[in-house]
Amino acid sequence: MSRLASLPRDTTQQTQSPLYGNISRLLHRATGSVIVVFVLVHAIVQAVRHAPALAAWNAPLLEPLQHQAWIHGILYFSIVFHTLYGLRLLAGDLGIRTSYRKTLWVAAFAGLVFLFREFARYAGY
Amino acid sequence: MSQAIIVEAEIRRYSPTEDDAPRYETYTVHGTDNMRVLDVIRSIYAEQAGDLAFQFACRVGRCGTCAVKVNGVPVLACQERCVPRMRIEPLTPFPVIRDLVIDRTEIEARYTALELTPEPPPSDAAHPLPMQPAQAEKIGHMDSCLACMICVSACPAVAERPFDGPAFMLKLGYMNQHPNNGKDRLPSALEGGMLECFGCDVCTQLCPADLSPAQAIRELRSEVVLGRRRLP
Repeated sequence: MSRLASLPRDTTQQTQSPLYGNISRLLHRATGSVIVVFVLVHAIVQAVRHAPALAAWNAPLLEPLQHQAWIHGILYFSIVFHTLYGLRLLAGDLGIRTSYRKTLWVAAFAGLVFLFREFARYAGY
Repeated sequence: MSQAIIVEAEIRRYSPTEDDAPRYETYTVHGTDNMRVLDVIRSIYAEQAGDLAFQFACRVGRCGTCAVKVNGVPVLACQERCVPRMRIEPLTPFPVIRDLVIDRTEIEARYTALELTPEPPPSDAAHPLPMQPAQAEKIGHMDSCLACMICVSACPAVAERPFDGPAFMLKLGYMNQHPNNGKDRLPSALEGGMLECFGCDVCTQLCPADLSPAQAIRELRSEVVLGRRRLP
């Protein structure tokens, strides 16, 4: 029997499960915002670090900021998730169908791998 | 085995001609946990609020008339199982006639404007239109849309952007694949905001007819990107 002719799936508990597409969409926005903010802050911080007049800020404020595990972890998660989900959207524009559930899990899992890799790296592993 | 349950249902009550603003009224219903939301609403109507306006027809999930929002998620009331605490509201963003009944005038007008009727066969045609079985199966499936507007109500792009909604795009996608389609459907789809779709597939997840309006939009978009060619 073909997939189209099969019985429809169970739609009796729709309110009980999360809306995966909404989670993906909001995560995509949030990770995109993280990347944009990082690029802006990174440009400003690098400018400040290389300006002799602002050297007083460097040692106490900016230098420790360069070595925060959580900043790197969140940034790597954001880049990986945003890239993978963005590729899924681009594939959609070519008519390619992808599972909304699997895409979320795959993109989130891949992002988390990089996030934890950063934590592990900072922990010395 | 069903178990006894006490349902606390908070229903949005509003009559534009009588009330200044919507209000929520709470009703308690005793029943079993295999009750559907529609059973709860009908029980409230029969025993507690005889002036409650709601609508339903088939009770088996085939007409799409009883669509409401339960705890913020659009569902068919006749299919959705009840939970102990429910907030029941009419579908957004449609105008409300009264309580849980929405005004479908604009919806019908949009369907009419899209001219969704296939071209009639030539008068001398003695046989049905020849069609590949796979194509017939696909367009037959796409034609099973209930027009319940659950996808439009759930769509985040409809809420944020000038987008008609997935249901209308699904119909355009269906017509686009129909062998007797006599019009180019891409201009209508673009005018309806096809490019505003987020591609999130919330419509696919919630569709009670197991359709994928998002995929219909993707296929229409691919025609914008690739022309009439299809990827293998």
